[in-house]
Amino acid sequence: MGTKQTVVDILKDLTGSDVSGNLDENLFDSGMIDSMATVELLLELQERFGIDVPVSEFDRSEWDTPNKIIAKVESMK
Amino acid sequence: MTMDIIKAIDEIAQKTPTAIAYDYLGKTNTYRELKNYSDALAGYIDGLNLTSGSPIMVYGDQTFSMIVAFLGCVKSGHAYIPVDQHSPKDRLTMIQNIAQPELVIAIQPLPVKLQAVKTIEIAKLEAIFRQSNQYPLTHSVKNNENFYIIFTSGTTGKPKGVQISHRNLLSFVNWLVSDFNVPERPVILSQAPYSFDLSVMDLYPTLVMGGTLQVLPKEVTDNFKSLFETLPKLALNVWVSTPSLIDICLLEPSFKQSKYPELSHFLFCGEELTHQTAVRLKQRFPDALIFNTYGPTETTVAVTAIEITNAILDKYQRLPIGYAKQDTTIKLDNLNAQNQAGEIIISGPSVSKGYLNSPQKTKQVFLGESQQFYHTGDLGTVDATGLVFYKGRIDFQIKLNGYRIELEEVNHYLNQQELIKSAVAVPKYNRQHKVTALNAYVVLQNNTSRPAFEVTKALKQQLRQEMMAYMIPQRFEYRSSLPLTINGKVDIKAMIKEANSND
Repeated sequence: MGTKQTVVDILKDLTGSDVSGNLDENLFDSGMIDSMATVELLLELQERFGIDVPVSEFDRSEWDTPNKIIAKVESMK
Repeated sequence: MTMDIIKAIDEIAQKTPTAIAYDYLGKTNTYRELKNYSDALAGYIDGLNLTSGSPIMVYGDQTFSMIVAFLGCVKSGHAYIPVDQHSPKDRLTMIQNIAQPELVIAIQPLPVKLQAVKTIEIAKLEAIFRQSNQYPLTHSVKNNENFYIIFTSGTTGKPKGVQISHRNLLSFVNWLVSDFNVPERPVILSQAPYSFDLSVMDLYPTLVMGGTLQVLPKEVTDNFKSLFETLPKLALNVWVSTPSLIDICLLEPSFKQSKYPELSHFLFCGEELTHQTAVRLKQRFPDALIFNTYGPTETTVAVTAIEITNAILDKYQRLPIGYAKQDTTIKLDNLNAQNQAGEIIISGPSVSKGYLNSPQKTKQVFLGESQQFYHTGDLGTVDATGLVFYKGRIDFQIKLNGYRIELEEVNHYLNQQELIKSAVAVPKYNRQHKVTALNAYVVLQNNTSRPAFEVTKALKQQLRQEMMAYMIPQRFEYRSSLPLTINGKVDIKAMIKEANSND
């Protein structure tokens, strides 16, 4: 499965809805992801992609839309 | 032992006026400032001729002006009602209607104009602070008079104001100062918003001990990068938070004893401390004292505690919530023979007199004639040594992130939405009985072609106007119908089961 589809799946698990039509939506500003869910997101990304995202490097502004998350994951794989 | 919290804080200011009381990301305020500013404010409040003992609403975020305002209120004989700046307008007006305050101190601009009430805004407040006149304590809050009133979730969507007296608070503060081996003049984490009574666990013990409150504002906590840039700079001795915050910190490998050599105490309250979290923390901070505590807002922050040692971790897979403090009695009601669990009933000097201006609601849970017995709604067991174990709820109240939420209140707001035909919010638990999220199952009013994402976004936006953000479900799932009970109501229990059936 591609990076994009996996990220969309993870976000669907967290929010209950398909984000594929809203890839540039700010997930924090719109309230789609709260702080507890941010932790879940981070853990899921680490598990599914085997990437190491240090929580201390997790600057919200770099991970706030589905497209940014996809690009970040791609750059870290 | 402290006899008067207000005097004790003033005495610290006289003994060590230049000691730092409040540190907001490096911006510091001393005990002298705390005394002078709160004295000036108390004098100003006296001049307003408010009804004696009437409560004052204090609206704002985590800043020094907030705690000055709290002290100014109680010095002049008035309880304060802390209201968080992120509160929706409707909640503000509901609190106003119930509490009938004659004065609002607005540290942050009020989102709604409150009718028929005097207001002190921040510019005026700062001008008052600059008048330095000593204020003799002649009619400060004492004994059974209300010190603060914290509003908490009610099942009907109407919040309940828990009245905490000076006597209640004194019982809690003296226990915290004496029973936890907290170092002298401690540097303590102050992270919880003031409208949440977990904040009282750091606020008054720190001030009566002459320590420093190290503030971690919400914006910093929410952005993990800034959280971990800030934490090492705080030089904390004592950590006070919900277990949820420590779970985030434990994701960071450098959060360990060698990087935080001064950090010697962890105090947890507000929700279940899981075995897993405690084990991990003990591995990172082998020499620190880790305390699990428990108590509803109605009994002043916490009434039981236990140090979580390796022996406790070895012995119990689900951690005990501790022993009752010396002046408090815990008994169980309606014992269920099968598991020996019963409703936890608490009596003692820290038990509130009841809900403000709500005799009906008070009567339902505060029972007893000469002494108040608070019926918590929590299920527990007590072993032969008096050690208490938490076993869940008798109703639909949950703890998420330390916040107390009545599912019926969430459902009340969901079902008021125009888009929604019926809806139910249920907790999602992890394997260790801790709530990790709130899920909503929704039947929409009409078939809509709008994508689910758009509908969820619109609903969340509207809900943020009406309810506290921490109560808004994280996940929204759309259904064509929901299971009903024989009475025709949505079957919450069935949905809880379903939401938790995957793992």
